[in-house]
Amino acid sequence: MIFRVIFSTMIVQMKQSFARPMFRFCLLANPMLNTILLYEMYKNSGEENFMAYVVLGAGLMGLWGCICFSSAGDINRERYSGTLSLIFVAPTSFPIIILGKIIGNTLMSLLTLGISLATAKILFGIDLVLESPGYFLIALLASVITFIVISSVIACLLTLSRKTELYMNCIEIPMSLICGFVFPVSVLAPQVRIISYILSPTYAVELMRMAVWGVIDTTLFWEKMSILILLTIIYTLISVFLYKKIDRRVRIAATLEVA
Amino acid sequence: MEKVICVKDLKREYHKKSGLFKKNKNIVKAVDGISFDVYEGEIFGLLGQNGAGKTTTIKMLTTLLAPTSGQCQVLGYKTFGEEKNIRSKINFIFGGEMGVYRRLSARDNLRYFSNLYLIPANLQKERIDNILELVDLKDRADDLVETYSKGMIQRLQIARGLINDPEILFMDEPTVGLDPVGARMLRDIIRKLKAQGKTVLLTTHNLSEVEELCDRVVIINKGKVIYGGTPEEIKGDSLSLEDAYVKLIEEVSE
Ligand SMILES: Nc1ncnc2c1ncn2[C@@H]1O[C@H](COP(=O)(O)OP(=O)(O)OP(=O)(O)O)[C@@H](O)[C@H]1O
Ligand SMILES: [Mg+2]
Repeated sequence: MIFRVIFSTMIVQMKQSFARPMFRFCLLANPMLNTILLYEMYKNSGEENFMAYVVLGAGLMGLWGCICFSSAGDINRERYSGTLSLIFVAPTSFPIIILGKIIGNTLMSLLTLGISLATAKILFGIDLVLESPGYFLIALLASVITFIVISSVIACLLTLSRKTELYMNCIEIPMSLICGFVFPVSVLAPQVRIISYILSPTYAVELMRMAVWGVIDTTLFWEKMSILILLTIIYTLISVFLYKKIDRRVRIAATLEVA
Repeated sequence: MEKVICVKDLKREYHKKSGLFKKNKNIVKAVDGISFDVYEGEIFGLLGQNGAGKTTTIKMLTTLLAPTSGQCQVLGYKTFGEEKNIRSKINFIFGGEMGVYRRLSARDNLRYFSNLYLIPANLQKERIDNILELVDLKDRADDLVETYSKGMIQRLQIARGLINDPEILFMDEPTVGLDPVGARMLRDIIRKLKAQGKTVLLTTHNLSEVEELCDRVVIINKGKVIYGGTPEEIKGDSLSLEDAYVKLIEEVSE
């Protein structure tokens, strides 16, 4: 039953999101433009492996953008269309529905990686270089899970507030920068790097990049992976805690609707 | 007969912050100590002027909003704290063009909500077909809702409200936007539900509808109950229910 709820929510979410021009822009055009931009930036940098920063970077920025503007923005859209209150009072638990939405969005958003790859290949003739495909898949899977968990924390906080759009705009770009989607976090100031290392996407990106270059030091890979898993578990616990809280909170504060 | 809704001295306040820098907190007493009971199988009307607190009351009854104080029970359970025992047995319909997924078809909307209401897959198709027939949306069931007229969206809302075969149906101005035929269809649906032993609590500004449908009503004004009884009792010697209603409202506003 729960599985059917998650699955049908995923499908509904995908249909809804894809019907929105803004989402299609984020999903299709954004990674293309980012790929071009990043390629131009990295062209003369001496970095030969464009896969690591250009393709992966543009894809991840696109992925993160989609997550920001849909997983989170959807809460607001549903609030304004009056469906948020309907799904809230349905007998299925609200977090399950939100989870379904987020999984749907995240899976669809993975398309950005493919699009930036295709853009790089077609426009600049960059070949797919993936030294350790197995490790890459593991890293990708872990990244998807961590992104899903982060989205659910964000979605939860946004159920409480009506200023969703504003907050989303505020965190989209900084997150890409702090987590090192397009450059190694080692170029950041040490104070900022502390933040980088409590954010799980930082590790997710590093792991994927390691796999692109080829995992030589497997201990290091698994070390980083353990931290990623640990952080993801912590976020999950936070998210569970928050959902318990908001269930009562939203009904006291009346933030499910705009009226 | 069994008491299915029990409201006692129920209050709900909204806290509104105004002012950009100096935060003034003003409190709106939307519902200010109302009491009423609804029995199984009744069609119960909640009447009152705009802003009287009808929607707020319905939201508390449908587990959407927490009461500030007082008792609010549906089917013997508290709507805040014991909502898990209530939710699958009730449903609600709000008037207007909200509450549907506009980028999906009517059928997809109903299919989705029947999943959320955990209706077994083998029952879903037949139930959805029947409901679509009932609200006269069958021909357009597979078109996207964004291509629907206002009244068609309202019909879809009604369909959605029936999806879990609720024991109690809450309706907040359900006939808003419906054409005369649609409004009659809804009244027929409501009567049919009553014949099946279901309970309906509705708000409306259409008093002839109240006369036609409601077994009992309460009139709320500024969050307080000012009258309760059958439509006949309220009418008394007045020419129409409307006259009697206006008189009651004027009396308390003096
Ligand atoms: N979310 C909210 N925040 C602040 N005040 C609110 C909120 N919702 C309703 N109110 C206020 O509570 C009061 C009662 O509103 P309510 O919507 O319950 O009235 P109503 O009887 O349904 O009116 P109508 O006939 O216009 O639908 C109004 O003064 C309204 O402004
Ligand atoms: Mg109202």
